[in-house]
Amino acid sequence: MSVQDILSAENELTHMLGAQQAVVLSTRIRLARNLDGMPFPGWAKVPQRKEIAERCVEALNRSPKFRRGHVLRMGELTDLDRAVLVERHLVSKELASGKFGAAVISKDQTCSVMINEEDHLRIQVVKAGWHLRGTWNIAEQLDDALGPDLKFAFSEKLGYLTACPTNVGTGLRASAMVHLPGLCLAGHMEKVSRALSQDGLAVRGWLGEGTEAAGNIFQISNQQTLGLSEDAILRHLSGWIKNVVEQEWNARRKLATEEGDKFVDRLSRSLGVLRYARLLTSAESMNMLSHLRLACDMGCLPEERRHIVDRLMIEGQPAHVQMRQGGELDSDGRDLRRAAVVREALRDFPEPGPPTA
Amino acid sequence: MSQPLKCSLCEEAATVHLSQVVQGKVTKVHLCEACAQKGGATDPAIFQLADALIAPAVAPSLICPHCGFTDIDFRKRGRLGCPDCWKTFGDALGGLLIKVQHEATHVGRAPAGVAPVGQMRHRLEVARTEMEVAIAAEDFEGAARLRDEIAQLELQLSNS
Repeated sequence: MSVQDILSAENELTHMLGAQQAVVLSTRIRLARNLDGMPFPGWAKVPQRKEIAERCVEALNRSPKFRRGHVLRMGELTDLDRAVLVERHLVSKELASGKFGAAVISKDQTCSVMINEEDHLRIQVVKAGWHLRGTWNIAEQLDDALGPDLKFAFSEKLGYLTACPTNVGTGLRASAMVHLPGLCLAGHMEKVSRALSQDGLAVRGWLGEGTEAAGNIFQISNQQTLGLSEDAILRHLSGWIKNVVEQEWNARRKLATEEGDKFVDRLSRSLGVLRYARLLTSAESMNMLSHLRLACDMGCLPEERRHIVDRLMIEGQPAHVQMRQGGELDSDGRDLRRAAVVREALRDFPEPGPPTA
Repeated sequence: MSQPLKCSLCEEAATVHLSQVVQGKVTKVHLCEACAQKGGATDPAIFQLADALIAPAVAPSLICPHCGFTDIDFRKRGRLGCPDCWKTFGDALGGLLIKVQHEATHVGRAPAGVAPVGQMRHRLEVARTEMEVAIAAEDFEGAARLRDEIAQLELQLSNS
């Protein structure tokens, strides 16, 4: 099984197989779990890390969720393979940078488990659109299925024990990937982000911790993992996401009404650049694709084109562009290749009309 | 000011200086560019973590008997050595946990076969309050139901 197989396989996030939504791109649940009696990966010696990886991979192979899935050992992959997996959010930068990490990915790419990251196991479930309960239910089932086999470190007082105090307790990080062009264009994003962080939620860029919010895409997640039940954490996030989605729609409608022609002009210019540019940087294409997505959401472009925009956002990332080309490219080469991919995909896009949403 | 300040997290030269005023007491955190970026300006947890890391050590050296991890290691890495470390460092980390998590006790799920004691304790507290409210509102049927639930929870907790 190669990384190429994962990229070419159809999945919810790139092929519109799941229900899509205008504002929430995807829902993610992550559970941090550790094996009782084993040192955490950052402190474990090499033979211990290998033992941890073997035990976890074996247990995951027995789980029906991962039947015919992929087992990827970081030490056996090229730099480009690992970078692509990071861009797909299937593994973290931290996992990709170590030699003894592994990732087990389900056939449909909904479930992935990182082994030997900061914790022994990071169980992840991702669904396209906003499906917090459904995503949680899958994660809970996986947790229940793996627990008896692997014997997770647990204390009555502190819950699931993790390497970092920021994850102890439930080990749960629930998040939504949201596209907020309306709030960004209206200049409200800073205010929203402050309100969220004051109420215990973290707002990050699209590749997670410490990354830029390219394409007006943000990841919103809970911070607190201790002293709240899983249910309370999910309800808190859910309430805020509903609120943010509503504010985003208000901002979009207000912009469309107040700006009139200027609003459509902005979206049309972006389509123009994307269709005719010969060199496109990653940041520029993300920001323009964000406008196209907004155009699809607002009825300026047909809604059924949205998944093409979503796919370009993923496939226009640097490692994806290189993987498609079949090898490493310098920055100019990537920009040239990216522009060609985007141009081809948008060739028959119609002209944006006035908003209907 | 003869020497440049060092980053509270990694000992690089600090270029980002944050002052926090908590209940009239000023605490300062100094971070290098990379750590400040990594933390993200909107992520308060990292700064609270930094606070705790630079706080003077009150306890003498602690060593985990299981994996040899010490409190000095924790100050350097911000992560523990093994699950058993929580037994050794749990008390010393109490203050940090309150800062980062605002709570000190788990109330969520437990692995299969382990009684979710925290959750039961939490429910017990809630049920007791609810019963008082029900009595005050003269909802005696509701109060009776809650009384039975409380008795059941108390029994389960004493057996676990």
